Amino acid sequence: MDDLGRYDAIVLGAGVIGASTAWHLVQAGLSVALVDAEGPAAAASGASDGAVSVASKKPGPLARLATASLLYTRNLAADGPLMHGYHPRPTYIFGSGPAEGAAIDALIAKLDALGDAVRLRRDGAADLLPGTGASVERLVELTGEGHMPGYVAVAGYLRDPRIVKIWPARVRGLEETDAGVIVDLGTRRLHASRVIAALGVSTTTLFPQMPVIPRAGQLFVTDRGAPGALPGALTSAAYLLAKTTDMTALPRPPVVIDPLSTGQYLIGSTREDHADPGRVDFATLQKLMTRAAETWPALRNRRVIRAFAGVRAAVSDGLPIVGLAPGSTRVTLATGFEGDGICLSAVIGREVARMAADEAPTPALSGDLAALAPTRFTALQEGAA
Amino acid sequence: MTKAQVLVVGAGLAGVGAAVELARAGQPVLVADRAPRAGGAIHRQPLPGRAAISSHAARWDRLIAEAQALPIDWAFETKFAGLDHTGTALLSGATNRLMRPAALVLALGAREAVRPRTGWTLPNVTTAGALQIELKTQGLAPQGRVLLAGNGPLLIAVAAQMTRLGNPPVAIVESAAPFAHPLHSLALPLSYLREAAGYMATLIRARVPILTRAEVVAIRAEGTALSVRVETPKGPRVFTVDRVGLHDGIRKNDGGVTACAAVPVLALGDCAEVLGARAALASGRAGGIALARALTNGTPRETVPSTTLVRERAAQQRLARIYAHDAMARLADLPGGTVICRCEGGTLDDLRALGPTPRVRELRLLGRFGMGPCQGRSCGEWVARASADDPGLPPPDTPLGRARWPLAPIAIADLIAATSDTGAAPLPSEGT
Repeated sequence: MDDLGRYDAIVLGAGVIGASTAWHLVQAGLSVALVDAEGPAAAASGASDGAVSVASKKPGPLARLATASLLYTRNLAADGPLMHGYHPRPTYIFGSGPAEGAAIDALIAKLDALGDAVRLRRDGAADLLPGTGASVERLVELTGEGHMPGYVAVAGYLRDPRIVKIWPARVRGLEETDAGVIVDLGTRRLHASRVIAALGVSTTTLFPQMPVIPRAGQLFVTDRGAPGALPGALTSAAYLLAKTTDMTALPRPPVVIDPLSTGQYLIGSTREDHADPGRVDFATLQKLMTRAAETWPALRNRRVIRAFAGVRAAVSDGLPIVGLAPGSTRVTLATGFEGDGICLSAVIGREVARMAADEAPTPALSGDLAALAPTRFTALQEGAA
Repeated sequence: MTKAQVLVVGAGLAGVGAAVELARAGQPVLVADRAPRAGGAIHRQPLPGRAAISSHAARWDRLIAEAQALPIDWAFETKFAGLDHTGTALLSGATNRLMRPAALVLALGAREAVRPRTGWTLPNVTTAGALQIELKTQGLAPQGRVLLAGNGPLLIAVAAQMTRLGNPPVAIVESAAPFAHPLHSLALPLSYLREAAGYMATLIRARVPILTRAEVVAIRAEGTALSVRVETPKGPRVFTVDRVGLHDGIRKNDGGVTACAAVPVLALGDCAEVLGARAALASGRAGGIALARALTNGTPRETVPSTTLVRERAAQQRLARIYAHDAMARLADLPGGTVICRCEGGTLDDLRALGPTPRVRELRLLGRFGMGPCQGRSCGEWVARASADDPGLPPPDTPLGRARWPLAPIAIADLIAATSDTGAAPLPSEGT
């Protein structure tokens, strides 16, 4: 086996979290290798809808971190690596019936508590957005959020030539010593002082004790048409509820209608406990598309050209995992974002890079980051024992 | 409860052959086809009021008479979107239906390949197969000055059919040198030789020039006409024509159907293996018989070795040698602005910008290859060959990732209108 390459830090996983972390590490002057089994944005990041959305985050640490990340994403988009990646746009949340109405009320209360990064601009009915179907009883418009397809963000971060890119290369194992960490790639080994594992659904192959589970979401893409008819994503309140409610208990199909820059629409989505990107079904397509076309009737003139499932990395307690791996002083985990990684990647990449450089986290975020520490599971296991 | 139907997709020789045998064995059968009538590509039927010009008409007439005497359901002008992992198939178009078939027979026919060339996406440049479909449905030869170019025996067949209808093509430009292999040719089955001799006699009588080892290197629009630059062993030629029919062989066409434990899937005829009309009918009938037996007895399907298929396979291999050429290398010399993905307008420069060995995800997400309606079924071969060290080597099966349903775009209005007889649990639709 060849011993090749010594780096200050090695990042495992070239999704949006890994790419952001690698970029922040090289800005701090560290030498960095980024390793991926497949290539950039090969899993959830490449299958994302690209919503940089605080509205869709669970209240608490995630919503507060998402707010900080949204503000920071705007900075990185002004003159940084996300310059061509992030575009501000309005967000529309719609609903019909009492359960979705209550979810929208809860959303407004949550946004109020988070400050003014995302603001409620209008609260009304279908006539608030021309083109919306009459079946929509309640429609709110938010400002402050934006759109950033995961693969575009990854490409933006990877444009920094100082990041050494290594793929396709599957990590067989990690060996931590007093001197550093050895990353075993099968045919060769890399050395680093620190390793950051941003492995998404693959986390458990190296860290089987972490309760990361795949959660797939079906996505459907239409053909092209004139772009701009819909200025921002139309998200059903049921989709917000789907983050905390079993699919079968939702009041209505959890539809998100996302206008793409190509003039196509991306329509989703479900939450299903499997990891098969090919598992999409016609019954779900019909249910989601029926509600989507009631909500945005222009869809009736479009065709579906592609269907796939994005596989999110979920965590048993619904919170991501960010921090030193249990029992390790050199390996940091950053995983389990369950689709929220696009929005959180800017701040998480920055903060994980600080951790790897032995710097304290940004003070305002330290409490919320501590809530994501992997040690919460070891504590649980010990408590149960 | 009524017995579930076997869904046969494609009403050509293989599909109707299979449907006939299934129905004869007592299986309920639904045959779906996007065309308004049965026939497929080979026996494409004329539009109402147009003259039929199909060759081998007797073979088709016998088969369709057999089919009409049996209880077979038909869904024409209907597209098959695919089969999902739950065993549900979607039909859309004139018939909009979600169904759980007892089995699925894919008899989609082959896919025509056209190698990118300068100007190949211009208006009035089509596939030679499209000219032939036009000829069969209209009962007329395509009008104006027509040049046929590319590779394979279809060019000669289309040229002869056009000639017999009174508008011979200006020329045939063939990449290979098919007449340089008389010994190979004589070893072809007699039926092939007889058909080829008939076509050639027509073309010689009409003095249609056949340029061999020749290549269309550029097509340019000149007013309403097309100026076509051709390289031949004797030097360059320029043809001014109204239409160009390109054809670089045919490919199998069975991608996009999800493996499904619940529903047996059987691909028959040219979509599974390109062996031509005789093999398609034989494959359809044999597949139908084997499937019916398996469904009746609940036993695994047994494939019966067919002498027809063995003979046609040998003949196709011989034809491939006769029509072998090295023109794929020309892909590497095309100008960077040449479109290789027609769906999304992706060019060779777009491909080269992804670096020497792009990953599938990079090809798709950054290059947008395979992201259009064809999902890479058409452009995958050219993306793979253009990025390979040797464009002449056969490309991998799925260079742009596995194709998935939909096999064809699904109109959302049709999807919403589709009735469901799958018994699937619906997603919630009302407040509870």
